[in-house]
Amino acid sequence: MNSSIMKKSMYFFILPALIFYLLFWIFPILKIFQYSVTDYNGFVQEFNYVGFKNYSELFKEGVMTSSIVNTLIYTFIVVILGNVISLGLALMLNMKIRAKGIYRSLAYVPTLFSAIVVGFIWSYVYMPDQGLIDSVLQAIGFKGIQTNFLGQYSTALYAIILVDVWKNIGTATIIYLAGLQTVPNELLEAGRIDGCSAWKLTRFVKIPLLAASITINITLSIISGLKAFDFPFIMTNGGPGTATNTLIFKVYKLAFNEQLFGKASALGVVSFSIIILVTGIFVIYLNKKEVSA
Amino acid sequence: MKKKEILKSTLIHVGIISFLLLNLLPLIISFSSSLRSPNNMTSPLNLFNEFSLVSYQNAFSRMHFPMAFLNSIILTGVSVTIVVIFTAMAAYPLARIDSKFSKFVYLFFLGGLVVPGQMVIIPIVQIIKALHIPSSQFTPILMFVTCSIPFSTFLFTGFIKSSVPVEIEEAAYIDGAGLFRRFWTLVFPLILPATVSVIITQGIWIWNDYFFNLIFITKSSQSPLPLAMLGFLGDKENPTQWNTLFAACFLSAIPLVIAFGALQKYFIGGLASGSVKG
Repeated sequence: MNSSIMKKSMYFFILPALIFYLLFWIFPILKIFQYSVTDYNGFVQEFNYVGFKNYSELFKEGVMTSSIVNTLIYTFIVVILGNVISLGLALMLNMKIRAKGIYRSLAYVPTLFSAIVVGFIWSYVYMPDQGLIDSVLQAIGFKGIQTNFLGQYSTALYAIILVDVWKNIGTATIIYLAGLQTVPNELLEAGRIDGCSAWKLTRFVKIPLLAASITINITLSIISGLKAFDFPFIMTNGGPGTATNTLIFKVYKLAFNEQLFGKASALGVVSFSIIILVTGIFVIYLNKKEVSA
Repeated sequence: MKKKEILKSTLIHVGIISFLLLNLLPLIISFSSSLRSPNNMTSPLNLFNEFSLVSYQNAFSRMHFPMAFLNSIILTGVSVTIVVIFTAMAAYPLARIDSKFSKFVYLFFLGGLVVPGQMVIIPIVQIIKALHIPSSQFTPILMFVTCSIPFSTFLFTGFIKSSVPVEIEEAAYIDGAGLFRRFWTLVFPLILPATVSVIITQGIWIWNDYFFNLIFITKSSQSPLPLAMLGFLGDKENPTQWNTLFAACFLSAIPLVIAFGALQKYFIGGLASGSVKG
């Protein structure tokens, strides 16, 4: 397949990107594996090797289990809810209606706001007494309902997950819409002539043909869910208690608030392994599915 | 039949509009509050009951808006330019040479997508010191560029493979054009749609990122917009400061919203082509 004019010397073109990538992305990961078995604190450059103490402490203190559980819940809901909503919206926006363009743009607007701004605005939404949800509830006559969503152990995690879903609907919708453009019209016409209902056309024609977009969106949301950091950082600081400690947020907190770089690295290694494992399983599962289909 | 069609399309419109209203409600209410003077404490649900720019003036001076805006432009502009040059170049051999090595490098880059930046940052300060890179307001650019490499390389490689035929380079080769000339004068102009896609997808996140800036930038005069916003962190639980806080939120979001309004076609197209071609 290789054209004779494509010489090996082309590989030099990779160098600038590769050097950056190795120095500032791969090398740090290797460093983290090294730090994870030390008592490094970030300031004093000398450190001792302590074996697997960091790992066993993380496990004994329950930090590891709670962060892993939170992260997996976070990812699961972001993937399911985010994709169901944006697929539904994309299917509606793909119908033959007027003002489609305006609707699509409006749906995309939240994506443009930075996580900080989104975090601020949603902190107001969830605020007890004067916040948006509480004011609306009071205005329609519900008083005295416990609505401190961010302050309660049982609701805080779900509250920030919803914000994440809200912020990313726009992007996923655009990707689904792009996928829907590739569904051939003749196929839909043929289906209609054969008497398929709108639901059947969606279920058996459109959605199977959207396989590529679904794969992309689900992969992207799995990765972003497992890397969740912004909203625990901006909205809850991991609290109340450990309710919104996601893996990556806890890594950050251990390193930069508690100066436990060794321990933070150990949790980093754990996070890294979990991300690779979950993403890997998903990619292999999809490949198998594509082959058998 | 006709009646049924009209009923159906009305229902769809109602469905979409109510979803969008619910979805945009937080933005609508905070926008309406941002247009109040700072001491207007009536319930934010009384939409648009005052039009004043005093909160905006407060926010404007508190976040040093012109300076922060300029810093954002510089950081994003420089980073995105480097990303485009580096990753378009890297993608060229990866798309053109069909070998085990090039496949490996491609997957090696792509694998970087799963790595969280917050984890990489732990040893990065030491690494940057060891490399004798002076720490300045431009240090975040290193991370912005690196973080953008996986996705951008993936996008460019897919695009060159699918849309730039080898044949167009053969004529130039016979005329004696070297690799560099062929790439910059023939291939690069042809991958413009992918370039737009990279500029938009990477530009948005870099413009909005606060994390890498937070790690490297310590002076407020060097802060870009998202970092200037972090200065309001304490106000989010203080209802008396909300009007100013929301004004700051919209001030920092307006540049991207305007850019989106003006270049909508490219934003939507850029995202879409990124996903379909890849």
